[in-house]
Amino acid sequence: MTVEASSAATASRPSATDGELLRVDELKVWFPITEGIVIERHIGDVRAVDDVSFALRRGETLGLVGESGCGKSTTGRAIIRLYRPTSGRIVFDGVDLSSLEGSALRRMRRRMQMIFQDPYASLNPRMNVSGIIREPLEIHGIGNGAERRERVRELLATVGLNPDFGERYPHEFSGGQRQRIGVARALALNPDLIVADEPISALDVSIQAQIINLLEKLQGQFDLTYLFIAHDLSVVRHISDRIAVMYLGRIVELASSRDLNSVPLHPYTVALLSAIPVPDPVVESRRRRIILRGDVPSPANPPSGCRFHTRCWLRERLGNPERCTTEDPPLRPLASGHEVACHFAEDVADSIEQRQATGRPASASRAGAGAGSAAAASAGGSAAGGSAAVGGSAAGVSAPAQASTPGTAAPGA
Amino acid sequence: MTAPAMRPERAGRTAPMARRTHGIAPAGPLLKVEDLVVRFSTHEGTVHAVNGISFELESGETLGLVGESGCGKSVTNLAIMRLLPKPAGRIAGGRVEFDGLDLVRLSENEMRDLRGKEVAMIFQDPMTSLNPVLTIEEQMVETIRAHRKVTRAEARARSIELLGMVGIPKPETRLRSHPHQFSGGMRQRVMIAMALSLEPKLMIADEPTTALDVTIQAQVLELLRDLTDRLGTAVILITHDLGVVAGMTQRINVMYAGFIVETATTADLFAQPSHPYTVGLLHSIPRLDAERHEPLIPIEGAPPDQRRSPTGCPFAPRCAWRLPVCWTDNPPLSPIVAGTRVVLTGPDTTHRIACHNPPTPEEATAGMPLRPGFIAAPPPGVVVDELAATLDLSPAAAEEVVIMTDEGPVSTAASAGGLPLPPEDDQR
Repeated sequence: MTVEASSAATASRPSATDGELLRVDELKVWFPITEGIVIERHIGDVRAVDDVSFALRRGETLGLVGESGCGKSTTGRAIIRLYRPTSGRIVFDGVDLSSLEGSALRRMRRRMQMIFQDPYASLNPRMNVSGIIREPLEIHGIGNGAERRERVRELLATVGLNPDFGERYPHEFSGGQRQRIGVARALALNPDLIVADEPISALDVSIQAQIINLLEKLQGQFDLTYLFIAHDLSVVRHISDRIAVMYLGRIVELASSRDLNSVPLHPYTVALLSAIPVPDPVVESRRRRIILRGDVPSPANPPSGCRFHTRCWLRERLGNPERCTTEDPPLRPLASGHEVACHFAEDVADSIEQRQATGRPASASRAGAGAGSAAAASAGGSAAGGSAAVGGSAAGVSAPAQASTPGTAAPGA
Repeated sequence: MTAPAMRPERAGRTAPMARRTHGIAPAGPLLKVEDLVVRFSTHEGTVHAVNGISFELESGETLGLVGESGCGKSVTNLAIMRLLPKPAGRIAGGRVEFDGLDLVRLSENEMRDLRGKEVAMIFQDPMTSLNPVLTIEEQMVETIRAHRKVTRAEARARSIELLGMVGIPKPETRLRSHPHQFSGGMRQRVMIAMALSLEPKLMIADEPTTALDVTIQAQVLELLRDLTDRLGTAVILITHDLGVVAGMTQRINVMYAGFIVETATTADLFAQPSHPYTVGLLHSIPRLDAERHEPLIPIEGAPPDQRRSPTGCPFAPRCAWRLPVCWTDNPPLSPIVAGTRVVLTGPDTTHRIACHNPPTPEEATAGMPLRPGFIAAPPPGVVVDELAATLDLSPAAAEEVVIMTDEGPVSTAASAGGLPLPPEDDQR
């Protein structure tokens, strides 16, 4: 195709180590808070992203999930370098992006693209569709006029739109079709990495599946790597190989999609899972929600120690141990490919809360808190009631020493 | 009609209506909507927002209205409250009977007296429904005193009590705050407190948690359920989230393009979804409790343009089960078991759908037609029979097929049953 020329240019890519495409190291993105109109004084920072590290393998989908204000979008935008990181490294295919500027940065950006949340705001209403999709090719000087026209038609067909619609304007399309245009634009430069920031949350329910299926199809077709950012854990779980759960600028849990859902080990993940309504009244009647008290604290003034301690149900049950308020828990491997930032994550494993949140048929009765702690005490024995995966991870929990596999372990193959 | 021979056992929580009590049980239902028709006049023509829907609601009952944006669920409730934007929107037909009163005929003054006192409403975005320049105290006291003959001090005491009831810490101090000083979840709590301040008989909650994070949504839904249960308030819960209605409601109306296409008790609806649209909705969202990576089956196409008066079944252009008759004849809402005596409210509500060719329970589980050789009827005028015969359009074919017709390429995702779709309507 016309863009093969550009692929040739990037053929000399330094072949990444172990298929690792992206590595984010201790990324911090702080936004300054200033006071005063004439003379601005720096009085503090909103710590949107505060020490986040993860890696993304080629061809993998990593889900970044969390509530509003947890820093997931900021992380995504910092990776594309729409924000300048305060500190930390973003290594894309062997090149540290955090220090790149100008044309060197632009050349790298060709290989990473973004799909935005709002298909109404992310397309220029005064450009026609073919202009929107052609723009990246023009910016990067790829192909001549005829080749670009041909490429636009091909992209429209790829995303399931009529290639003859190029002359139309965004307002003539429905939300789902506009999102397809956004996807076509992201694909125009044959990127390696696509950061999809809430790509379906502005769409109607019946349209969401169309876009999810399209993204999955394109991943296979073009060997894409996705960073999929969303607040909806059920959607993230569907599309992702691995999931990172964020809370207040930190990753609190990182695990394979399956493990995160069946054996969540961070109290916040458990609460998050339990809060998601399941469209089945039978399941709903069996589940019990963990209602977190209060709101997410301000990222300008995060709580001391563990950032979740102000709302943590586990801390309360353990009698408010001092460690939670004084010591910041690091992300530590607990089972193969399963990392968690909690001092007491072992107590979450096979707790009554964990089982109720995941809706697994419990082996013990789901009566009250008393029965709950009893079940937690006999964690090893009652694991038999769960699935094979539960048993495996429970074993991993009891022997954390041997589970030293880094979080970059292969996605559940 | 392939009506299933047997109904599955009723699952889920038994309707807690039995333990609900309400001061005076009125004869007949609390709310009775009959053939409600709502039209909007716009520059581009008349929008057929609601097209003759009927439903009833008992005291203390919780009804879910489910559908996508534009399906008429919010408009239905604005019509009930007589809050349609003027002069564009109007009730073009039908009756809305509330507690023996015909709301369509009430004067503006009588209606104003009713709103808040008898029927309260909470909206998706609490910031737009609270006045940003008044304190919470001013707004709550004003609401209470507009309807009750009480002193300012009494109204204030009641406000403090209400804020405490919805879980706002230090209500005496918070009463003097302005709406912007509250977080989204807290604002929604204030809205609930205001809505319940006059103990209305009916509360309409229009997407009350859509703007909130899931952990906050869980808080607000829990609160809403507790309070309305305790006060015996009937609730109409409008949402697009099938998960929310599954845990919150006793009955559900599924709406599409201004029609009710399926109605049943919550347990029945989820145990045996029977309208192709409901089936499609359930298969197009990933479920947290799914066993493994189950592929999603999207509903192809987009909702219809409601500026054209509906002909045929409104869902036909997107339906995998459609027959030729579906293009021309809109089916009425009728029981899934033919000949059943129709019950409109309560735990014995008859499961009804508006469909010529409903999916069998097996097909509903699979999310696609399973009858050998079945191909959804092409729209009148587009000939794709010969093409379809030459293509593998079996449900197993995973790839998308594009068929060239006179009107341009027609895309078909074979996963939805291999149906050639007409060029999408809204691309004009």
